[in-house]
Amino acid sequence: MERAITITPLGGKPARRPQGKLGDAVASGRLRMLVASLAIAVAFMAVAGQLVRLALSSQFQVTSSLNATIAESFARPDIVDRHGHLLATDVEAQSLFADPARVIDRDEVVEKLASIFPDLNQVELRKNLSNRRRRFVWIRRGLSPKTAQRIHNLGLPGLAFRRELRRAYPGGALAGHVLGHVNIDNKGVAGFERYLDEVVGVEAVYGATLAERAPARLSIDIGVQYAVEEELATALNRFGARGAAGIVLDIDTGEVLASASLPDVDPARPVMSLDPSRIDKVASSTFELGSVFKMVTVAMALDNAVVSLDTLVDVREPLTVGRFTIRDLHPAGRPLSVAEIFIRSSNVGAGVLALEAGPQRSREFLERLRLLDPIKTEIGPVAAPQVPDQWQESEIITTSYGHGIAVAPLQFAAAAATLLNGGHRVIPTFVKRQPDAERDTVPLIKPATSDDIRRIMRRNVTDPKGTGKRADVAGYPVGGKTGTAEIPGAGGYKKDAVISSFLAAFPMNKPKYLVFVLLFEPKGTGDSGGEVFAGRNAAPTAGRIIRRIGPLLGLLPTSEAAAAQSNRVFDATRLAKYETR
Amino acid sequence: MRLHILAALAIALTSAFALYGINYDTRQLERRVQAKERAIKIARRDIAVLKAERAHLGRPERIEPLARAQGLRPATERQLFAVPAEAMADVFSDTAQRTARAWRGE
Repeated sequence: MERAITITPLGGKPARRPQGKLGDAVASGRLRMLVASLAIAVAFMAVAGQLVRLALSSQFQVTSSLNATIAESFARPDIVDRHGHLLATDVEAQSLFADPARVIDRDEVVEKLASIFPDLNQVELRKNLSNRRRRFVWIRRGLSPKTAQRIHNLGLPGLAFRRELRRAYPGGALAGHVLGHVNIDNKGVAGFERYLDEVVGVEAVYGATLAERAPARLSIDIGVQYAVEEELATALNRFGARGAAGIVLDIDTGEVLASASLPDVDPARPVMSLDPSRIDKVASSTFELGSVFKMVTVAMALDNAVVSLDTLVDVREPLTVGRFTIRDLHPAGRPLSVAEIFIRSSNVGAGVLALEAGPQRSREFLERLRLLDPIKTEIGPVAAPQVPDQWQESEIITTSYGHGIAVAPLQFAAAAATLLNGGHRVIPTFVKRQPDAERDTVPLIKPATSDDIRRIMRRNVTDPKGTGKRADVAGYPVGGKTGTAEIPGAGGYKKDAVISSFLAAFPMNKPKYLVFVLLFEPKGTGDSGGEVFAGRNAAPTAGRIIRRIGPLLGLLPTSEAAAAQSNRVFDATRLAKYETR
Repeated sequence: MRLHILAALAIALTSAFALYGINYDTRQLERRVQAKERAIKIARRDIAVLKAERAHLGRPERIEPLARAQGLRPATERQLFAVPAEAMADVFSDTAQRTARAWRGE
């Protein structure tokens, strides 16, 4: 029989052995097993914890570093024209900054940088670099690679570069007013760039992270835009004008295919837009447009069934309202039909038509065409129209021939498009409409009125006495209306200072496009026969524009002789030659 | 019992090495991914610059004089001519005639 051995500590009582379950566990060795398992589990957990720490630690370091030093910027989607040609994009550029604490010789830094940047504010930079507590001072942002390399070659301690996003405009000043511009942080502040920020959305980023969004597609066609800008620049020189503006509008969809205002602005140089002479004359300014407004007056009289095109109106005597006397520039000396009032641009005739319709119908028609209320497009609010406070006889007479009411050319073009497209509403837009997008078909005037306006506009170009005869273009049936408006100044209208304009549409058998040309303060030159009338300067300019943009817009030129032939085909051989060379 | 403990320790050590190896491989892969991402970023940056340069070179202001120098002009009505229907019947196939009729809007 075995005997239990009891180990007794020296000088003490024998150790008490744990009783119960614990005692059994100790006795069977399970406790040691448990402790060993726990130790192993702890070891595993330590390994796992270490792995997690290693996996996460590098990310934390990077993030905290980025947050601490890099300024916020905005990654913007590209802007392309209606055919996908790039107009604006983000590119990376180096920006130069200094860490004053690391600058050894600030005078050397300032002097050497001044040799590269002659316009550098040396006093301010020296002051900034003197403050050693500052660790970050911007010196110049958005450098070209060449300039950045020159600075790098200086080897100055304390200077460093940071990559940032910069907006690039590959087309230069093309469509500058439409595009607008961005600020130093790449945030849109004007034009379509601002629309991107407010509606389309841009991404706030750190450093130079390019946007991955689909480009924003403008309604502008850069071929048409260039043709318009170049012809306006030519007209500016030919007629000695101080400024010019032009619009090409799709009269069905309201898409603006070209919008030009000269002198222009370069989106890459936002400071240019501060020059008052460079303000956008298409949408940001209002003008008394003169006789071009008569198309609205005649349409109003026709639409309200006050007259028909053949109604004779007595225009032999000047029209007297209060202390004002309205005369025709070239009195006919006989009654004129409504069509003739339009073609000869009779002020008296337009005034009589407005009086016949009355103030209420005159005002209501302008309201219907949205000529009295402010409108807005994607490039910003259009300058609000300036309208008479009250609508008495004198006001409706002056507005009948385009004085006493000032509207932005874009707003007037949209109203004129309604008169030409069969009568439905036109809302001007700078964003390309999808082909399957729902069309705006809200009727504003009768289709018959639109037909009449088309007919007399075409006659105004084909009639030898028409004021728009110089807008005729071989191959394209063009119609239009001239306007020569005196410019208001201190104490009345300025002498010999006019805005000459021509509102054209083509092809007049089924108008598709509207072209509105304005020349500001043209001079009487040899090219205009010494006159400043729109028929001598704005009308031929519109004709030149149509001749150039017609083929670009996919409209084949025709000739009267060829049109008379029933079996005309396109010369494929010559077309191929032009396409392939 | 000791055998069990030793076996467990061996498993723990093996697992630790294996985990370390996996961690090492993962970090290597991460480095490669980061390198690829950097390469993608640089490529995207270069593409953006090339896109801008291509658009700059293709701007109408530059293209138009080049086109004029090649003798290209906007299409005019002189490029249209009338072809008698009988002649067309001889020259063109049915398809060509259909195309011609389409041009005429028939």
